[in-house]
Amino acid sequence: MSQWVINGIRAGIKTTAYPAKPETAAGVTPGLPVGGDYPANNVNSLISLCPTRVFSDSDGQIIVDRRRCIHCYRCVRGVERPVNWEQSYEWGTVRDGQHEFGQPFERSIHICVVDAGDCGACLNEVKQLNNPYYNMHRLGFFITPTPRHADVLLVVGPVTDHMKFALKKVYDAMPAPKRVVAVGACALTGGVFAESFVCAKGVRDVLPVDVEVPGNPAPPLAILHGLLVATGRKAPAMKDADPTNLHE
Amino acid sequence: MDTPTLISIFFALCGAGILLSLAAPPSRQGNVLAWLGCLASVALVLAGANALLAGKTFSQPLWTLPGLAATLTVKLDSLSAVFIFITGLVLFPASIFAGSAPASGAAGRALAVGRDADGQSNVSESLARSVRREGAPNSSRGGCAPQNRAFTVFMFGLYASIAMVFLAGDVVLFLLAWEAMSILCWLLIVCAREKEIGHAGSGYLLLATGEAGTLAAAMGFLLLAVAAGSLDFGAIKSAASGLSAGLQWAVFLLSFFGFGVKAGLVPMNFWLPRAYVAAPRAFVPVLAGATLNLGLYGILRVNADLMPAAHAGPGLLALVVGTLSALVGMLYATTDNDLKIMLAHSSIENVGIVAAGFGAGMVFVATNHPALAAIAFVAALYHLINHSLYKTLLFFGVGEIEAQTGTRDMDRLGGLSKWTPLTALAFLAGTLSIAALPPFNGFVSEWLTLQTMLRSAELSSTGAKMVFALCGAGLALTAALAVTCFVKVYAMSFLGMRRLDENQKVSEAKSGALAPMAILAALCLAFGVLPTYIIPALDTATNPLAGASAADNLVPPFFASNTAHNSLPPAFVEDFHNLGAQVGQNVLPGRGLVVLHRGGAKNPVVFAMSTSYMIVVLVFLLLLTYVVIRLWLTRSRKLERRLRWDGGVRNLLPEMTYTATGFSNPVRVIFDAVFRPTTVEDTRETVAEHFRTAIIREKERVHLVDKLVFHPIRTAVMWFASCLARMHHGRFNAYAAYALATLLVVLVVFLLFQTS
Repeated sequence: MSQWVINGIRAGIKTTAYPAKPETAAGVTPGLPVGGDYPANNVNSLISLCPTRVFSDSDGQIIVDRRRCIHCYRCVRGVERPVNWEQSYEWGTVRDGQHEFGQPFERSIHICVVDAGDCGACLNEVKQLNNPYYNMHRLGFFITPTPRHADVLLVVGPVTDHMKFALKKVYDAMPAPKRVVAVGACALTGGVFAESFVCAKGVRDVLPVDVEVPGNPAPPLAILHGLLVATGRKAPAMKDADPTNLHE
Repeated sequence: MDTPTLISIFFALCGAGILLSLAAPPSRQGNVLAWLGCLASVALVLAGANALLAGKTFSQPLWTLPGLAATLTVKLDSLSAVFIFITGLVLFPASIFAGSAPASGAAGRALAVGRDADGQSNVSESLARSVRREGAPNSSRGGCAPQNRAFTVFMFGLYASIAMVFLAGDVVLFLLAWEAMSILCWLLIVCAREKEIGHAGSGYLLLATGEAGTLAAAMGFLLLAVAAGSLDFGAIKSAASGLSAGLQWAVFLLSFFGFGVKAGLVPMNFWLPRAYVAAPRAFVPVLAGATLNLGLYGILRVNADLMPAAHAGPGLLALVVGTLSALVGMLYATTDNDLKIMLAHSSIENVGIVAAGFGAGMVFVATNHPALAAIAFVAALYHLINHSLYKTLLFFGVGEIEAQTGTRDMDRLGGLSKWTPLTALAFLAGTLSIAALPPFNGFVSEWLTLQTMLRSAELSSTGAKMVFALCGAGLALTAALAVTCFVKVYAMSFLGMRRLDENQKVSEAKSGALAPMAILAALCLAFGVLPTYIIPALDTATNPLAGASAADNLVPPFFASNTAHNSLPPAFVEDFHNLGAQVGQNVLPGRGLVVLHRGGAKNPVVFAMSTSYMIVVLVFLLLLTYVVIRLWLTRSRKLERRLRWDGGVRNLLPEMTYTATGFSNPVRVIFDAVFRPTTVEDTRETVAEHFRTAIIREKERVHLVDKLVFHPIRTAVMWFASCLARMHHGRFNAYAAYALATLLVVLVVFLLFQTS
């Protein structure tokens, strides 16, 4: 027991310094492709590389819909001219036209996590927030099982038909003011499950989403950034030109 | 009117009731019982109040038995008056209820399926519980009068015999009345539903254990009578102090355990749940509210009045047994889901608390703390009265539920308050009282009892102090469990979702059942709010037992307008007078209730509360909360009404909600070491080998006392009977041989004695 305490003291604080300082450790993020001008590439061949239709062409410019990326690296590995790949993790974006969530969200928030048909990956990353390394309690974020106490609804998964009703009920049961954070490619766009006979194409189909965190799964730091955006403590990531209509 | 007249009127009314019910047609039996029963109990209440408040006690020799040097005496002293009063108070609503309720609660049969063949309360907690729930028969809600003539006759007989026990002034009359009461109880249980399997067995069990107790008590009385040379209580009392210590112990043990059987104290309480389940629902309230008091009266009469203990031993034993009864009773009450059985166990608990109070009083008498003894006796008597009131009320409620729904299983009830709002309200008053929550009566008496336990600091013996401390902790645990238990009872039966079948019609009780409940609920509240008026009355009863008055200690003139009084030092009063509690004293009835703990001169300590102010404060706080929430907090905010959170399920079914079993399961798990459930069998249902469809684990819970006391006794009796049965084999030749042998033995004995 005493050994345990001494070891703890000797080890010091291992918790990430984020959001005070940027996290620089290797492997904290799978990264995302960067759009822009790729003159050397054949735009169409690049677009056809992507299984989830991340890229689109806009007058020779590659536009990246980060919400769709599943980090398969097909556009990076094994191709002659890979796209640029950024190792960032501050990915949380907000709904158009809304940047301030107001005073009730500036301090501690309670989060109700709903697994709306998740494969387990995103939920696992959400779970990591509670471990000593990411330790979201230090930021005043707490998980609550009941929507009655929740300020923020964190949804993972593409919203299967069976979870649609429950998800609506959870949202209804939350007291106002309330925010919805959607985490992961599936929750944002339906991901690889897309719109099918069992699921919708993301949380937006069911609820108004306030903060979107891309990634498949989204790394814990990205989720943390999304929550910080929801509380107004971090600026949201820059959005690419709105790609939602491009594929419609 | 003077007391003897009132008593005569009571007996005359009982006699008239018997005659009228013999003459009246079966359809009028209910009216006879309700009207004459009410009048008789009013006479009883008036007699008790007269003797208690106006001090009009009396003693009247009736008849000297020829041959025996015994005079049958009717005597009403202040102690009897308390019991007479409370009996009348219980019998009044009970008569109305019994008059309007069908005598046979045939609905109880739905539950009998889950019971053992001999009507035991062994609850089989099986996973396949629902299997046996199928096919619940419809309740008998048809007739509203006891169609049974015998029932009415026996009820009036029981009223008279109960009163006679309290009025007996000598051993012979006491035992006669006691016997009559025991037999009438048994008859009332068996007369209504004799066809049902197992229920006659419960009746016999009640009779047999009661008789065993009576035998023990009679032995105790005879030991006293031999020492006194007289059968009169007065003579016994004056001679009892000369008894040797061994004899005193013998008398205490015989009377405590003898009368303890009737009261339902711990080693001999196994008859009680069985009898309550078997008894018709018109009779159970009387059984719980009036006859349990008889056992406690016997204990108090013998061990505090006739033969005050000379040393602390008997009192400590009574205290420990009482605490054990309270704990065991409460544990089983908390975990049982049958409303009647739960109330039966809770009766055991309450009787335990009263017995613990008596024990504390006896210890204080023996150790020469008369003021403390008076407080303990007052607390115990107060609790006894309260128990009679709320337990009767709760049994009315349970009887009504059973008649309406055909079940007493809390796991099958739920949401009843929507259909029976008034019954639910009255039942809520009862549960609040029994859970000892202010402003109802249970709170006052439990508070007093626990405060008395704390005062044991004034005892000199360390051992006694430790016993008091442990028992106080036990009683506190009991009080906490009682809250759990009755939250469960009310919530599972009246709140939540309706679990009953859709076709089962549930409607508000008729006025014949509602009125008694309303009367008792009002009494519960009155006894909780105005203890300062009741305690002086009780004090006149306990004064002779303790040799001191508790009124000065419990209701001192602190919160009165004038500071002058005779028993407390002026400086002491000055300290406490200006606490501010006398504000509004002209407006509110009732002063503060106080348990004095004087401490030293420098650090006087007073435990005080005022029940009448408390109710005002409670109402004020309720209103304040409402005002704050309605007018202030929600004024600036938008109020949204959404459905309750149910976990996001599509359709919340009653089967998904909390059940009584689930609610009390933590208690069951924590006290597993006490309950010691034995896994009886594991059944594996398989389609093929290695392919199980279900594993059914039957857990049988045998009551602790059943396992330790009742089953060994039963085994021993059965063994003895089987030994005797060997003689009864039906061979005529052998019987002739028995006769011959007997004749020879008699002759030999006769010859031997004649020669010598």
